Amino acid sequence: MNLAYRLLVRTLVTRARLVALCAIGGAGLLFGLAIRFADATAADRLDATNRLLIGTYGLNLVIPVTALVFASAALGDPVEDRTLVYLWLTPVSRWRLVVAGWLASLTVSVPVGCGAVVLATALAGADGRLVGATAAGAALATAGYTSLFLLLGLVVRRALAWGLAYVLVWELAVARIAKGAARLSVSVYSRSVLADIGDVAPPRNAAALVTSLVVLSLLVVAATLGTTTLLRRLDVA
Amino acid sequence: MTFVEELPQTPTVAVEGVSKWMGPVVALSEVSFAIGPGVTALLGPNGAGKSTLLRILCGLTKPSQGTARVLGVDPRTDLAVRTRIGLVAQQEALFEQLRAHELVTLGAGLHKVPHPERAAAAALATVDLDPADRRPVRTYSKGMRQRVKVANAIVHEPEIVILDEPLEGLDPRQRVRMIDLFSDLGAQGRTVLVSSHVLDEVERFGSRVLVLAEGRLAAQGDFRAIRELMDDRPHRLRIQAADARPLAARLVASGAVVGAHLESPTSMIVDTVDAPRLRRDVLSAAADVPTRLWEVLPLDDDLDSVFRYLVKR
Repeated sequence: MNLAYRLLVRTLVTRARLVALCAIGGAGLLFGLAIRFADATAADRLDATNRLLIGTYGLNLVIPVTALVFASAALGDPVEDRTLVYLWLTPVSRWRLVVAGWLASLTVSVPVGCGAVVLATALAGADGRLVGATAAGAALATAGYTSLFLLLGLVVRRALAWGLAYVLVWELAVARIAKGAARLSVSVYSRSVLADIGDVAPPRNAAALVTSLVVLSLLVVAATLGTTTLLRRLDVA
Repeated sequence: MTFVEELPQTPTVAVEGVSKWMGPVVALSEVSFAIGPGVTALLGPNGAGKSTLLRILCGLTKPSQGTARVLGVDPRTDLAVRTRIGLVAQQEALFEQLRAHELVTLGAGLHKVPHPERAAAAALATVDLDPADRRPVRTYSKGMRQRVKVANAIVHEPEIVILDEPLEGLDPRQRVRMIDLFSDLGAQGRTVLVSSHVLDEVERFGSRVLVLAEGRLAAQGDFRAIRELMDDRPHRLRIQAADARPLAARLVASGAVVGAHLESPTSMIVDTVDAPRLRRDVLSAAADVPTRLWEVLPLDDDLDSVFRYLVKR
């Protein structure tokens, strides 16, 4: 698994991806500085940090998009460019390949996506507790989204477009409005964890801490099992 | 449709009634054969189903019907057998950012070869590539990439070596080198299955062939027998002359052709079972008529027509 993991990390890190994601992350840093130096009360700044910077910008946009870019490519790119055969025709079990892809995506997504959001939160003037909670919430969201998009990369072609549609329509809009939809939102669960640990206002339709942790864990396990099954049945070109 | 039967004593690859369809397209239809150690050539025109068959043998896709066994097990479900198979896939794709040595070392490592770097260097040397080359494979020519793929396929010393059009993109010297390598692998007791759509290329691989045409196994066995059969088949030629009609009558009367069809006053299509005789007789017939002979052009010497003929038998 170690070899497959290292190979996938190398194939994921491309200049174009890093430049695009660092630009999005850089915008967050400016956003954080803008909140810090805004002419507002401390309470308003904390609210803006929590709702807009961490919630909307971070967990609803940067984290899922970063996870999407890397996770959908981890196994999706080898399928598209037909290099999967070099991994597939080995005695490495399929679940190990999937876990290698998941870990490789996390290895790149966590510093790029979570790093940007946590740094922006710190720059906005948040206290240590909120920064720590942001790190935990962002890491959980990254883990959840990564498992989901790893599966998406195998299921559909143009996973980037489908994933982006899911993020913008479902996570950013529908799940924030409809209570039922919030039960199927990675962002709502990870923000619930963040709010609980960081002692800030929870998102609309928030879930309890334990429920959120259990659901996110189940999502990772179920998506990994699904991806493994799919990889096992895949027609490799 | 098999006309030359030659079953190996110890089959390492056995295919029984395999069919594969993708939607409405039938890629393989009721293919059965068994091969053993040594080199076997898989011959067929483009689109005959060669790559699909090789993918089934590597477990990369499942047959819609029938069974494929490699070393006695199903390659689709048995993980362990995959380390006993080496594949040169038809596609050019490689991990572009890696160096050749890194790529082959990776392959060796994934197959749990004890000293992957050393094994990779040896495999690259076997295909005349420099293990110390620092360039990524994306800068390699098509022939060099093809050789990287061959090195990657043999680095773990598999018992079954499957090569899908491995000579594509190689220069004549490298072709000879590779054909020698495949022969050596076969002589070592490995089962080497090499696909090609080039008839003359296959002749040099060895005497055993499988011929696929339109998804069916058209022939199996000794290459020489198949070659003779191909030489015996009726041939169709176009003959162009200043006055084709009397020339056609003359050729029919002499028995050099079994049929003639006038396309125009200056062109005719003829069928013959003895092409060399026709080529001799047409000169004297043209002199006798007399008419000026412009062109004698074989119409069915391409591989597709050969395979069509084999399928119809």
